Amino acid sequence: MRAYTPKENVQKKAYYTDRYWVAPQVAKFDVESDAVFSEDLKAIKDAKITVLEAFIQVDQMVVYIKPEDNVATLELLRDECGYTQLSELSAIDWISKRGGFEVFYQMLSMTKRKRLRIKCFIDEKQPIESVQSLFRSADWAEREMYDMFGVIINNHPFMKRILMPDDWEGHPLRKTYPLQGDEFAAWYEVDKIFGKEARDIIGPEIRDTARVDRYDTERFARLGHEVPKGAEFNPDQEKTPLAYQEDDGVFLIEGFEEDKSQIIRDRKR
Amino acid sequence: MQNTNRLRPFFENITFDRDDNELVLNFGPQHPSAHGQLRLMLHLQQEQIVKAHPDIGYLHRGMEKMAENMIYNEFMPTTDRMDYIASSSNNYGFALAVEKLIGLEVPRRAKVIRMMLLELNRLMSHIFWLATTALDVGAMTVFLYAFREREYLMDIIEDYCGARLTHAAIRIGGVPLDIQDNFIYDLKVFLDKLPENMKDYEDLLDTNRIWLMRMENVGIIPTEMALSWGCTGPMLRASGVEWDIRKEEPYELYDEVEFNIPVSDKGDNYARYKIYMAEMRESAKILYQCIDMYAETQKNNQTELMAHAPQYISAPKLDIMTQNYSLMQHFVLVTQGMRPPVGEVYIPTESPKGELGYFINSQGGPYPYRLKLRAPSFWHTGVLTDLLPGHYIPDVVSIIGTTNIVFGEIDR
Amino acid sequence: MAQHQVNYMQDGGLPVALTSIDKLVNWGRSNSLWALTYGLACCGIEMMASGASRYDFDRFGTIFRASPRQADIMIVAGTLTKKHAEFIKRLYDQMTEPKWVISMGSCANTGGMFNTYATVQGVDRVIPVDLYLPGCAPRPESLQYAVMLLQKKIRSQKAIKTQKPKRLM
Ligand code: SF4
Repeated sequence: MRAYTPKENVQKKAYYTDRYWVAPQVAKFDVESDAVFSEDLKAIKDAKITVLEAFIQVDQMVVYIKPEDNVATLELLRDECGYTQLSELSAIDWISKRGGFEVFYQMLSMTKRKRLRIKCFIDEKQPIESVQSLFRSADWAEREMYDMFGVIINNHPFMKRILMPDDWEGHPLRKTYPLQGDEFAAWYEVDKIFGKEARDIIGPEIRDTARVDRYDTERFARLGHEVPKGAEFNPDQEKTPLAYQEDDGVFLIEGFEEDKSQIIRDRKR
Repeated sequence: MQNTNRLRPFFENITFDRDDNELVLNFGPQHPSAHGQLRLMLHLQQEQIVKAHPDIGYLHRGMEKMAENMIYNEFMPTTDRMDYIASSSNNYGFALAVEKLIGLEVPRRAKVIRMMLLELNRLMSHIFWLATTALDVGAMTVFLYAFREREYLMDIIEDYCGARLTHAAIRIGGVPLDIQDNFIYDLKVFLDKLPENMKDYEDLLDTNRIWLMRMENVGIIPTEMALSWGCTGPMLRASGVEWDIRKEEPYELYDEVEFNIPVSDKGDNYARYKIYMAEMRESAKILYQCIDMYAETQKNNQTELMAHAPQYISAPKLDIMTQNYSLMQHFVLVTQGMRPPVGEVYIPTESPKGELGYFINSQGGPYPYRLKLRAPSFWHTGVLTDLLPGHYIPDVVSIIGTTNIVFGEIDR
Repeated sequence: MAQHQVNYMQDGGLPVALTSIDKLVNWGRSNSLWALTYGLACCGIEMMASGASRYDFDRFGTIFRASPRQADIMIVAGTLTKKHAEFIKRLYDQMTEPKWVISMGSCANTGGMFNTYATVQGVDRVIPVDLYLPGCAPRPESLQYAVMLLQKKIRSQKAIKTQKPKRLM
């Protein structure tokens, strides 16, 4: 019987981890330790937004809120606290562990020179409200989030895939999606261009990076032993000369003569 | 035999002859002046654009996914292929993010070398921008001149790291090599000649009527639009916001060098052109200061190039070759990879195009749990949605040119 | 009025040469290879560099054209993604015979370092390739070498092709 391999996370995993190894943590600091951030946090709390957790990590404040509050929080931050730019927005896949996604909004205040991250957790099928009415940059970022994770976004004006083709299947950045793609991805271009009938003629993708086949004349020929495409491999084959011009020269073209040419030693001229 | 009908006409579901007199024009994805694989669906009323849909993803290579399947050091060469015109700045952004995650301090000489590389890359990128944009607008001469200088820069970088385009010249924790002997000399030759070269370009362009007509008052990005679309770098500075991460949130030794941030409040193509030119001069200024800083580290005998953190960073080659424990450590780090602490960082750096940010979520494993690349060009392409309507078709090319987008970075 | 006397037998006069049609046609073809600009990714930048000042492809008769209908060779420079694959086929079909393809860079050859869901593992899955140029990114010199090898290949072919058309299907 084949060994069972768990499917919920098909990304590469460490092949060996010491039993007693405990991963260290990046230090988290109290929000109170920074005057600017504590004021911002207070503003968020004053606006009746539930703050689930807040701390400072690597000089940036991280605030966990409820997903319903995302538009209100971002609006508050933009209008009251001076966080005028949404520099990044994306999700983290936690489906296998916690059954959903963590969505983060990375904000920047140019007046305070501070950055903070608003995070919220949504379930796999739970839609989240679009923030593109506040920040136009969210327009594309949300489309990318939908494309890569399948996060459903409400009230987005143009909800389409952005990076992958429209007829793509699956959401590539989910942990369940293998790096090298699934069956659909493997045959995508062949199916689309030549049709399913062509699968046999063109053959499967060669994904093994270490594959060397010296009998293969379909793809590459060895330098100096070129053969026509698809020819039988013949080990006693004559060497083909490598000079790029034929021995008797090319009609009407002067050959290159090294002793007559000027050689530039210094490349930087 | 070939089945020709499989690839159906592309617009089969779009009616060309619509009642509202709108024409749909498809631009790209393989267009010589689209700076890569940008596809634009333009809705036209006569020559005027009423609606624009940039379509991206034609160079999506799955880098974020690759990052989840690679140890941290392994991912470094992949970052080269993001903004392939200034590779080292991507390397640097990633290295800095990981260093912040594990809390490393890089030796001073490595910092100086990194800064030199960053500024060289900025110069390279801006010169390349000038060349391609000028070519798109029709100024072939500038293209040829600018590439001449770019080749020189490439030679300098090639002498350092061995590659012309994909440098991978920066490591997590420092730089792998000291600069070679003739680096400073070559750099000085280049920098001394740069003002002359820049004058050549500006003489060709500044008073050129065609250039002015296609640049001035075309593609005006208001400040609100720039902020709301997440524009950064020269795009934002051309719209009147003085924001340069090198200055505002200094990393490396940028707080020790002196340079100005060129700002314009016009927001049009010409302002961006001027800003790129001014930034090249500022970069040259920084490079001169870096040369002095490097000489200083030489004087103070600060020869370390990599941070000392045996848990994360391999020892120097000499140690690896001579000391058994260093060799073991190196072996473990190469085969299993370093394991940064559990946590999250978002580290922005000022790449030539704008704010290049790396968001890393580490779960204590040798592979990042999630790595998000915040590439400036992504948003600079997005802004075309709002920017293009109202412009005419010829303006599209010059606007795309001045946004300085690179597709490796947009689609990742 | 000055009188010029042309000695046709002398060196420097009008050349007279006898050759076969095959050779003549191939000579013409191989020395004016107009390339379709097909810069897809990083390699496209090196392709541009080879067209620019230092490497100057124009010297060798390789002029970059932006239209497939004016091009003889397609230099596929860069990563071909699955989303883009249909366009490369479309443009290849639009080129007029005779046409050749150089696949530049490991991405175009085999998918290169991008062994992921989104990249086509080699353009030869979509269009037939004549010459594979390894490197990531190949230097302009090696692109030059590739073009020269292709010229040699063209010269060794019959002018009117009797071999089966290069089609994947
Ligand atoms: S082969 Fe290398 S340089 Fe060329 S497109 Fe691929 S990744 Fe870029």
